[in-house]
Amino acid sequence: MAQAVPLATRADPTATRSALTEGYLTQPIVMAHAWYGPLQAIGTLNLEGLTLQRGELTTGGYGEGYVDRRHPHAYVHELLIGAGGTAAGFGASLFAGRGFAPFGSDDPMVRPFEKYPVNHHLAQVLERVVIVGAVRRGPVIAEVGTFNGDEPTGPGSVPKFSRVGDSWASRLTLLPLAGVELSASVARVTSPEIPQGHGLDQRKGSLVARYAYASRKSSRYALVEWEQTGERDRGVLITKLQSVLAEGAYCRAGTSVAARIERTDRPEEEPLLDPFRTPRPPPDLSNLGESRWTTLTIALAAPATRAWFVTGQPFVEVARLAVAPGDPAGIFSSELRYGTNRMWMFSAGVRLWAGMMHGRMGRYGVAEPDAGMHMPMGTPKHAAESDTMPGMPGMPGMTHSVPMASSPSRFSLISSCGP
Amino acid sequence: MKPFLVPPFAAAFILLAACGGDSTGPAAVDTTGLKPASCPGINLGPKPAPLTLPQTTPAAMRVLGFGTEPDRYTAEIAVRSPTAYTTTWGVRRVQGNKVNIWDVSGNTPTLVDSVIVTGANTTGDVAVSDDGKLLVVATEFAPGSIAVYDLTNPRKPALLSRFTSDQTAAGVHTAEIGRVNGKLYAFLAVDIGSSGAARLVTVDLSNPSVPVMVNVKVTGNPYVHDTFVRDGLLFVALWNDGMQIWDIGGCGTGASPEAPKILGTVKTVNGEVHNVWWYHDASGSKRYAFVGEEGAGIIGTSSRGDIHVVDITDPAQPKEVAFYHVDGAGTHNFSVDEANGVLYAAYYNGGVRAIDVRGDLGTCTAAQQDVNTTLNLTRCNLRLMGRELAVGLLDQNRQVYVWGVQYLGGNVYASDMVNGIWKLAAAK
Repeated sequence: MAQAVPLATRADPTATRSALTEGYLTQPIVMAHAWYGPLQAIGTLNLEGLTLQRGELTTGGYGEGYVDRRHPHAYVHELLIGAGGTAAGFGASLFAGRGFAPFGSDDPMVRPFEKYPVNHHLAQVLERVVIVGAVRRGPVIAEVGTFNGDEPTGPGSVPKFSRVGDSWASRLTLLPLAGVELSASVARVTSPEIPQGHGLDQRKGSLVARYAYASRKSSRYALVEWEQTGERDRGVLITKLQSVLAEGAYCRAGTSVAARIERTDRPEEEPLLDPFRTPRPPPDLSNLGESRWTTLTIALAAPATRAWFVTGQPFVEVARLAVAPGDPAGIFSSELRYGTNRMWMFSAGVRLWAGMMHGRMGRYGVAEPDAGMHMPMGTPKHAAESDTMPGMPGMPGMTHSVPMASSPSRFSLISSCGP
Repeated sequence: MKPFLVPPFAAAFILLAACGGDSTGPAAVDTTGLKPASCPGINLGPKPAPLTLPQTTPAAMRVLGFGTEPDRYTAEIAVRSPTAYTTTWGVRRVQGNKVNIWDVSGNTPTLVDSVIVTGANTTGDVAVSDDGKLLVVATEFAPGSIAVYDLTNPRKPALLSRFTSDQTAAGVHTAEIGRVNGKLYAFLAVDIGSSGAARLVTVDLSNPSVPVMVNVKVTGNPYVHDTFVRDGLLFVALWNDGMQIWDIGGCGTGASPEAPKILGTVKTVNGEVHNVWWYHDASGSKRYAFVGEEGAGIIGTSSRGDIHVVDITDPAQPKEVAFYHVDGAGTHNFSVDEANGVLYAAYYNGGVRAIDVRGDLGTCTAAQQDVNTTLNLTRCNLRLMGRELAVGLLDQNRQVYVWGVQYLGGNVYASDMVNGIWKLAAAK
């Protein structure tokens, strides 16, 4: 499967204290799954390093040396191999490679908005060398994983293999009702911002409630999450960052509407001459304080159309942002940085994809709620009923129209809910 | 932090005055010098005399005046009376590419001119040469550099040269200058950058118009943050690798800035070694180095990190013997009034701290000790020893965040990230 999103964004104002309008090819990715006997391989190649070097205008966004722009992800977004099986009512799997730690919510790339939320670095831990084990029995899934704490320093950066094992995460998921998913997770991440170590350590917590339902003609999706990250120096809490996010989407006859509201604390850092960049690794004491971002985003997507083997789906997104002093505010001032404390973002683009869409991103093996206990390891997940939708160009038809054990794939959530 | 030394005659005079006025002052000193085997070229002087002080409430340092810098965050300070130079940091309304020049002859510092350092994001460090002829400014981030100015007219620095190389590309965090065997050098602490390794770069400033890089050493864990050069020894702040002492010509064993030799290392409690001052007290004792620990904090609001006292009687095996701690605040750069034995420390949100560092700092009563069983280390607590003399700037009813201090001629000058420059009366 391959996808890309030609996109235009206007941010008014942004870190330049003026409005900027830019165009990109964002989220250019190639995904692949392979099976050999009990073994499964997962790969996601992310080419944003080639198309998004300056970062994508995302006012409020931050991480990996970018601020008010989303950073390009690593070329090797996921590359894992694993195996699993079931016995005595238990399912178990073990995966290793580069990918997601078992923490938080799904990657924003597989959710109904093009723009990432501000809380991306609070709610996901990704692109690490992970070893993730999962055990499932009935509606309960338990995961534990260990990984290297250092985050990527660029699209082509190589993880510090010597640090694998210095960080860990664990997630407990409950599937009480069809389509409903509750999860709680914790993580300890050692020195994510300084690959050599000795930077601030993170203790993270996350609570997520997720609902997804799809029928032959419509789909519904909702997610509510709370995250907290404490940054610690030798065990002493320095900053506490919190996020609350709620988002939902409804799709009917191919047209979808989605809304997201979020309030997230952002750590403010000393910027470089380029106001969208911060030094990585940080030189020393460069924490300007915290800002608190409240963001309301509305997204509309038209029915997808297909030409040859490529499917395209136009969309627009509008975001209204407000920034206020966090706790502590330090010396950060939105007036100094932006000239205001209210901003807009307007985006328009077309999601393009070819091939079978990837499902959710961030869980492996029996930890994927879609996998179910009935699904033997080694079975292509896209052959499972719950992962395909009716009428999706290029995709096989869905074989049932009842509430799914978990979510359908992303594009079925967004708009490909049948004509 | 810069070594601005008081003249020897002043030291002698003030020592006599100090002794005369302190009923519990230093006892008779051991005048026997010490030339350590690891560094025979240095005489560390006599062992510091015992000194017992009563516990008192620290006084408030008297503020004489201040000069404001509202558009940029103020960073380091260097004073050569009657002129002070303050650098700038990060981005406030505009970026920290300016060096402010202040007339500090009166009580209120007056901004008289400034210099823009092109291409700089932050001008985090500034130093004046011992002869007052040169001003050196460090720039971050890429491309890191030092800018060397001629101070023939101290109020109008004239750019002589700009040194940068692939070894300084990540950014020069600090640039200390000092003379070794008559030749002027700059010691550049370079950021980690994309190379993944911090380094110390030594530059020969014999011809300041053409600086020449003479040594590069990858060091620091993960940072190398600052240095202190004096009498042919270089004290290097290596963050979690502690403080290291390099012979760069002082020991008489053939080492030089071009070919330094590591004498010894100490890992102070908590690591995060940021800056150093090698203290020469009025009696001639040179047994202590003061080490600044810079913990994490939030600019304008909080900071962490103690002052650590290291006994370097054996430079090959330096040992931490005492510390000074402030709840809710951490130290940054130092300046020492060596004649009076007062350490002035910038303490970020904790203002300015004046600490009595006369005499033996490593001997104290059991009640004044801190015993770290994990490290098997017993240290004296300078606060419990009654050595906290005064506190400055916390009585100004405004947010302060003090980056640097300099004692000079009975006054203390402080650079405050939020406000600008302060002039205070010395604690003694």
